[in-house]
Amino acid sequence: MRKLTMLSFANIRKSKGHTVSLFLMFLIAALLLNAGSLVFANFGGFFDKITRELQTSDAYYIIPNRMYSEEIDSYLKTNPNVQNVQKAEALWANGSMPYHEEKREARFLLYDADSPREHSKWKWIGEQLPPDSMSIYLPYVMNVDGGYKLNDPFELTIKDTRFTFTIKGFTEDAFFSSLDTGNLGAYLPHETYESLKKQLGASYGATVLFVNLAKSDNDVEAGIRELLPKDDSAASSQRDGTGTLFSMELKLVQLSRTLMSSMVSVMMMAFAAIIALVCLIVVRFRIGNSIEEDMTKIGSLKAVGYTSRQIMGSIVMQYSLIALVGSVVGISISYAATPMISNVFAHQSGLVWVQGFDSGVSSIVLCGLLMVVMLVSFLTSRQLRRLSPIVALRGGIVTHSFKRNHMPLHRTRGRLPFVLGLKSMLQNSKQSLMIGVIVAAVSFASTFGLVMFYNTTVDTKAFAETPGIEISNAVAVLKPDGDHSSFVESVRSMSEVRKAQFIDQTTIKIEDTDVATFVMDDYSAKETNTVYKGRYPLHGNEVVLAGVLAEKLDKTIGDRVMIRMGDKQGEYRVTGLSQGSNMGGMNASLRTDGLLPLHADYKQQSLQIYLKPGSPADQFVSKLEHEYGSSLVQAVDMDKSMEQGMGMYVSIVSKVGTAMLVITIVVVMLVLYFVIHSSIIRKKRELGIQKAIGFTTLQLMNQLSLGFLPPILIGVLVGSAIGITQTNAVMSVAQRAMGIMKANYVILPSWVALFGAALILLSYFTSMLITYRIRKISAYALVSE
Amino acid sequence: MRKVIIKTNKLSKSFSSGGVQQHVLKNLDMEIGAGDFTIIMGSSGAGKSTLLYALSGMDKPTLGSIAFFEQEISKLSNDKLAVFRRLNCGFVFQQMFLLDNMSILDNILAAGLLISKDRKAITARAKELLTQVGLTEEIWSKFPTQLSGGEAQRAAIVRALINQPKVVFADEPTGALNSAAGKAVLDVLTELNNKGQSIVMVTHDLKSARRGNRILYMRDGVIHGVCELGPYVSGDRERHGKLQAFLMEMGW
Repeated sequence: MRKLTMLSFANIRKSKGHTVSLFLMFLIAALLLNAGSLVFANFGGFFDKITRELQTSDAYYIIPNRMYSEEIDSYLKTNPNVQNVQKAEALWANGSMPYHEEKREARFLLYDADSPREHSKWKWIGEQLPPDSMSIYLPYVMNVDGGYKLNDPFELTIKDTRFTFTIKGFTEDAFFSSLDTGNLGAYLPHETYESLKKQLGASYGATVLFVNLAKSDNDVEAGIRELLPKDDSAASSQRDGTGTLFSMELKLVQLSRTLMSSMVSVMMMAFAAIIALVCLIVVRFRIGNSIEEDMTKIGSLKAVGYTSRQIMGSIVMQYSLIALVGSVVGISISYAATPMISNVFAHQSGLVWVQGFDSGVSSIVLCGLLMVVMLVSFLTSRQLRRLSPIVALRGGIVTHSFKRNHMPLHRTRGRLPFVLGLKSMLQNSKQSLMIGVIVAAVSFASTFGLVMFYNTTVDTKAFAETPGIEISNAVAVLKPDGDHSSFVESVRSMSEVRKAQFIDQTTIKIEDTDVATFVMDDYSAKETNTVYKGRYPLHGNEVVLAGVLAEKLDKTIGDRVMIRMGDKQGEYRVTGLSQGSNMGGMNASLRTDGLLPLHADYKQQSLQIYLKPGSPADQFVSKLEHEYGSSLVQAVDMDKSMEQGMGMYVSIVSKVGTAMLVITIVVVMLVLYFVIHSSIIRKKRELGIQKAIGFTTLQLMNQLSLGFLPPILIGVLVGSAIGITQTNAVMSVAQRAMGIMKANYVILPSWVALFGAALILLSYFTSMLITYRIRKISAYALVSE
Repeated sequence: MRKVIIKTNKLSKSFSSGGVQQHVLKNLDMEIGAGDFTIIMGSSGAGKSTLLYALSGMDKPTLGSIAFFEQEISKLSNDKLAVFRRLNCGFVFQQMFLLDNMSILDNILAAGLLISKDRKAITARAKELLTQVGLTEEIWSKFPTQLSGGEAQRAAIVRALINQPKVVFADEPTGALNSAAGKAVLDVLTELNNKGQSIVMVTHDLKSARRGNRILYMRDGVIHGVCELGPYVSGDRERHGKLQAFLMEMGW
């Protein structure tokens, strides 16, 4: 054992540059793999832990106090599906607040912080300060994403009245911690709560029912809805949302909180797997090279009595040691990086993910990497068993077996360094193949990263379409009563308006599953096409199901489904499958004439307005409110809402995409360093001869670099082509849980080509930089050796 | 009076080994004449090869100057020396130093195409030279490892000649060959010299030394003695005797 260790360390000492570059590659691979695995394995579990800790209920229902009745209490008490109910009082209002130096609209649930709850509790994050007369405790997302700090003023505007609070603490709970799942929960000290309640008036009072359910597919919501005053039922499609019952299930919240983490972890692990594969290919290459370089030394060792097994053992130990140290450091750094990852996720989820040491995950990552390295080292070094000491001492003729004189110089046109480079490339076909495969793999990864970056920072349309909702510039939510046909005509005739059409959203039951349903007169006018298979409904008895929903219901195109709303129901034929993360993929599309038999009083309320290019949505919305305020519940600047809503997703994905691009470049440079450095050592004699007969250093640098260029070129082409054709397929798999069955991200071949060209140029210049060491090889050293 | 093509002035070369300076060439003044077959002899460590590689621009002297066809080469950069070598020098090494991954013809063209852009002309010249040194067509496409030592060395001579060098530098070209192969190589060099090619050759071997017309004997980094022999004639006993006497006098 001591002998093996001695030999291994001697090899490591001898090739410090290679050791360092391999160490770095294993470090990157282990870092990504461990971080990705930690997120993948623990982030979902972490959400479960929070819900257990805070005893979060399975669902909650918010009912405006004016609609709430004792009957609802009785109904819940007697419903066999309901295990227990926690009732809480709150103020429920749409409000606006300064957010990232802009005004941001959100639906607030303001609770009395001094009114304890048995279920669906909340907790403090960090320090909390003694309250004063107008104090507020905000969700942690307002700190981590919004930038608010303790003792900062917080201005909340509700119906033109501005309330200024002082932030005295940050909170965490499972339901209300994020801006993207309906309601943002804030807590007020009792006195502040009472004061605000008085100022706002009774119309903002709401009852929140936290309910634990026996089974998730239930009709509790429908039962409650039945008990609501009938006059208000039409308000269910109001965009304002605070006018009627609002329900949310924990599983949907969990999906929303963890979907980004699961997508990012899949991306990280896939990328880490590529890096790990590159490491293994490089290890294999390096072992082959070192055997060739150390042939005489191996011969000497065999001659003095070392067995093949001992020499192979020293090689396996050498690479396992490098992999061990690199992986341990990488895994350690990944733990140091988890607060950063947690912070990135917190921007979306508002939850503080604290990741301690996970011996299970890290052991699997470490052992997995080590075992694969040991296996590859063993298999590659096996050729030593057949090598006799005499052959090895003579330089190992087995390693030189040129079968063909590729590109004979008397027949091949072109500049001499280029032709010689190509000859060398063809003669080292295995090495060229290896470079090609590595570059193809990392080019694919970088194309993927580039597409993500492009779609989250330059052209965000495809990303914005992820929820599956229609993307217009503004929405006018009309009052449920009265005839608005003249208003609609007026809007259509406005100079800024390109098009205006109704697209509403309401909740129905399909095969007893609650489904958010888009309702529209004519789907051919829809601008955001989310149907990936089949077609939108053309007739009233047709429906399009989201892919996730169709899978859940085990239905497909041509099947019939039972749709129910209240006490009405009907059978509809499925004509298409759509995608979109709206309601966690539990969504569908119906025509207006398809909904009317279920809901005779249904009135279109959400007018989607598409503006002409160059017309600012914010100015248009102000104009609309000013001129037609009496017809509107509200007017929404969708451009701004979309920007705000997508902001956190964009931030996460663009960061991951950028990281992938940077890592790709680092890996390409490391691999090139590795291969070219090895080549120079291996070709020292050849380069010396060429120098002796009059080749300059620059000619030799070009010769070597140009020899690596074709496999790099082919690798970039292949990797980019796979990236261009397969990125959407990969994203479809990664986002399936979000309801994206067929991702449709914009892939600009020109961008990919530009990046590919940049990668090739970078590779060439890196090669030239690395081959600059050729200047140190003297012809005289060669002949005097 | 013969024309001087290489002239050194107080040429010195030192190496540092383990912190100890080793002076291999010491203030050496010498000349090489046009058309000469100059032989450099001496005991091991006398500085023969060091002198050969300094004269040919393969290595730089520590001090002193070298005028090669009146061009001062001792101060040239490495890349300028590379260009100088390709234009002026041909090299024949003891270990041949052919490129293993190229055919014999490609080995020669790799050197030839460094200067000539006329692929056809340089290929024709390579084939002509190969034929002249007795390497037949079937050998041209072989790899160096597939050739005998003598064949490989003759191919190396063709590579040295492809760019019509002003001087051919040979470092023990027969050192790794058997006597028959060695003789064939020496015959090629002699014939070249007879046609006017200047050659500088380092050797330990008396038979090789006989081919030269001017013998320089080195000891401790300086030229210890010079023997002028006149053109090589096979079987000239008087000439051989003169050389032997010179070498005995030098303590060889």
